[in-house]
Amino acid sequence: MSPLSAIPAYSPNLLSQIDRLPGASGDVAMPSALPVAAPADSNSFSSLLGKMVSEVNAQQQVSAQSVNALQSGASVPLHQAVISMEEASVSFQLMVEVRNRLLESYQEVMRMTM
Amino acid sequence: MIQILTGIQNTSAALDAEQTRLEVISQNIANAHTAHDVDGKPYQRRVVVFDTVLQNAMGGDVAGGNLPAVQVAKIERDTRPPLQIYDPGNPDADGRGMVSMPNVNIHEEMADLISASRSYDANLAVVKNARSMALQTLSIGKH
Repeated sequence: MSPLSAIPAYSPNLLSQIDRLPGASGDVAMPSALPVAAPADSNSFSSLLGKMVSEVNAQQQVSAQSVNALQSGASVPLHQAVISMEEASVSFQLMVEVRNRLLESYQEVMRMTM
Repeated sequence: MIQILTGIQNTSAALDAEQTRLEVISQNIANAHTAHDVDGKPYQRRVVVFDTVLQNAMGGDVAGGNLPAVQVAKIERDTRPPLQIYDPGNPDADGRGMVSMPNVNIHEEMADLISASRSYDANLAVVKNARSMALQTLSIGKH
């Protein structure tokens, strides 16, 4: 109960942390030379990342809701709650992985000698 | 929603269906000696009938991710005749001392229970596998 109930509390926190990540903030847009078909605004990297983070956040909330429902006696099947927890966990790991690759490439750029 | 675990919708539906099957089996076992069902007659064994459904009822082809899932179509009564046992002291006994008892066979129910439980396990193994596939995919390019 306790680790899951904490999720809604730290999820917004997480969002703001990702926002502060170097390279992920709003001022870095996709260079227009890249073959990006849609307008740069809705397709910019920061908005893509933001969409992904909010997706992960939504999944965490779904899992927290189903566990809450299960524990408060609603007729939620056990496997559904566990599967949604698992989905939330794997998508969170996917997000962390994206963040790691992002930082790695940023550090790679910063190590570049001029 | 991103589909992070492969085939999880189908597996979840299958787990639901198997759970219903387990519930019906437990109901059969619980009522193995119930001489009066809701209609007053001896309890009749219930059987679960599964159905294949397409996840997206509005159509779409199988190649487009619209894979058929399973659902409980109906719960039918087993129409085999009730068991006749000789018990003249029973208040329900007829003139010859025979009592109609449910057509539930405990051995049959136990076999069904094992089958349902194994099917549930199999679907859980699919979930486990999907999870480890996703985690292994996430570790692409790591050293």
